[in-house]
Amino acid sequence: MKVLIPIKRVPDTDQKIQVKPDGSGIVTDGLPFVINPFDAIAVEEALRIREKSTDTVEVLAASIGPEVCEQQLRTALAMGADNATLIQCDASLDPWNVACVLRAFAGRYQPDLILMGKQGVDDDLSQTGQMLAALLDWPQATFASKIEFLGSGLRVTRETDAGLEIVRVTLPAVVTADLRLNEPRYASMTSIMKARKKTIERITTTELGVTIEPRLQLLGLEAVPSRRKSVRVGSLDELLVKLRAEEKLL
Amino acid sequence: MNETNNNTADVIIIGGGVAGLSTAMQLAMRGQRVIVLERQRLGCGSSGRAAGLLGQLRGTAEHTRMLADGLEIVMELEKRAGVEIYVKTGSLRIAETPERAQEIQELVAMGKSIGFNIDHISIAETARRLPYMKTDDLIEACYSPTDGHLQPAELVSAYHKVGKGLGVRYEINCPVEQVIIQGGQVKGVKTPRGEFHAPVVVNAAGPWSYLVADLAKETLPTAAIGHYYLTTRPDPDHPVDRLSPAVRNRHHRLYTRPESGGLIVGIYEDEPVEYDMEKLPKDFDMSAMKAGRDNLNVALLIHLTQQRFPWINERTPMTISTGIMTFTPDGKGLCGPLPEVQGLFHCSCCSGHGIMQSPIVGKVMADLILDGKTKYDLEFMEADRFHDVPGYQERADIKRKCYEMYASYYGQVEKANVVVKH
Repeated sequence: MKVLIPIKRVPDTDQKIQVKPDGSGIVTDGLPFVINPFDAIAVEEALRIREKSTDTVEVLAASIGPEVCEQQLRTALAMGADNATLIQCDASLDPWNVACVLRAFAGRYQPDLILMGKQGVDDDLSQTGQMLAALLDWPQATFASKIEFLGSGLRVTRETDAGLEIVRVTLPAVVTADLRLNEPRYASMTSIMKARKKTIERITTTELGVTIEPRLQLLGLEAVPSRRKSVRVGSLDELLVKLRAEEKLL
Repeated sequence: MNETNNNTADVIIIGGGVAGLSTAMQLAMRGQRVIVLERQRLGCGSSGRAAGLLGQLRGTAEHTRMLADGLEIVMELEKRAGVEIYVKTGSLRIAETPERAQEIQELVAMGKSIGFNIDHISIAETARRLPYMKTDDLIEACYSPTDGHLQPAELVSAYHKVGKGLGVRYEINCPVEQVIIQGGQVKGVKTPRGEFHAPVVVNAAGPWSYLVADLAKETLPTAAIGHYYLTTRPDPDHPVDRLSPAVRNRHHRLYTRPESGGLIVGIYEDEPVEYDMEKLPKDFDMSAMKAGRDNLNVALLIHLTQQRFPWINERTPMTISTGIMTFTPDGKGLCGPLPEVQGLFHCSCCSGHGIMQSPIVGKVMADLILDGKTKYDLEFMEADRFHDVPGYQERADIKRKCYEMYASYYGQVEKANVVVKH
């Protein structure tokens, strides 16, 4: 069985993110980049599937973007992915483009399962997995908090606003990982060393026969001014007055 | 009141970590008007990232006496602030090699010679007290019942609360940009919020302290070094009691203490990460530091932890904390003035032991500032002990020596003597 894990390189959102003065993007100087946390959860799940399975399971991590994305692929390899491919592309991509590139790549690699983060923590769009499943005409199970193998398919528990929903999908399928699916591991020393030596395959979007035609245009980014303020109140009555009259919360 | 009066004090303290906050509180207790200037938030640097272990038996009897006295200050602080700071878990040292066993034997002899509560403990008893630790390879252990840890966040808030009650003024988000010196005497500092004036300025800037010293054209022999520890989440199969003793296992370079039902384990690795504080962003926030899943130092930390706690591995649910320590070439703090500038005192660089030393260090600093002396023999941590010493003047040399000190911190075999004098 082959599991494909698309990996997105994203800024560490625990850091202070600043918008460029012209609103065209964020300031990336000195900003640490990480593997998208939901993608790390997908990697972990693939490793657990491999560990539990009696069949041979190959875990392939793939990232689309410039050379720097190699760092995040190395992280996936250090965690335990078998192989990694960098799909070279310098253009900025929207979810549609990413889905198109991944469809072409899946056509070559022929995975049984594409396991990916439910969304990138940079733009929070949460579209790529869904679009990819549609393009491939595969079943999809999004926001997975539990994945079980059942016969020739999967039983996936999904986290929805209304509660847990359990769906069955046949393979091949696209599954997107939610936060509670698992807790990703740290890499061991030996696997970090091994990952450093591994060859990362490279392929271009042109070689995959994909033309990048954005359907989404970023008009501008704007930082939301922080509204957090704290005031010390003298009494409960004063607090109630403030909440009612000034903040209109009660 | 005009701005000049507003921003004038008896003492200005640069840095709102435990060293600065403790010093401020002690000075205020003696009637001084104190202003603390903090570049971000109180306790958001190394103080907020510390494990807070308190091991009172140090290389010199005087140091041990100071730490024991510091504990008295903590007790008082707990009463005044109404929080629990000191968690008296006791502490263990364990050895699995003959030379480490020897180290423990000498340490026990030294401790007993100065009346410190420490004794050998059997391996069976060690196993009974720490059921979650591998003990079958141990050959020697000792136990000090009065050790434990200080809870860093509670300590910061207690210093702040008591200090505030005594009139200390805290200016947060207020980085110091210049130290004002006239005729060799410090006059104050310059910040984006204007000038602050005082005849005494204390540099308690932790990892940034060498940069503050640079502003006054003084050389502070210290370097900023990365440190990592893990905190496991509570595991029903391996319960860790909140009063389980702290453990120091020098052979595996690790220390540990209980934390919220889980275990904190940290190491002093032999290849630490160095930081140049001047190269970090101006608004660098230590509390946002994070280690990647493929960080080699973290992998080493987990690997060494597993040697002693086999149930902890890469997949154990845990949090990795990382921060920056301030090390000196001999691993001891720097307290007091340097010869170049009158009125400028340094109080920093406790080399990973700032939390536990801060209660007594604040007292000592107040003594030095107001009386010019203290009742303790402070030779081992005087700020000027490397002054004019060849090989400790250039940044590169200083960095290398501090780095070596950190790297050998647990690696070297400690020599404890019953009577130690420098």
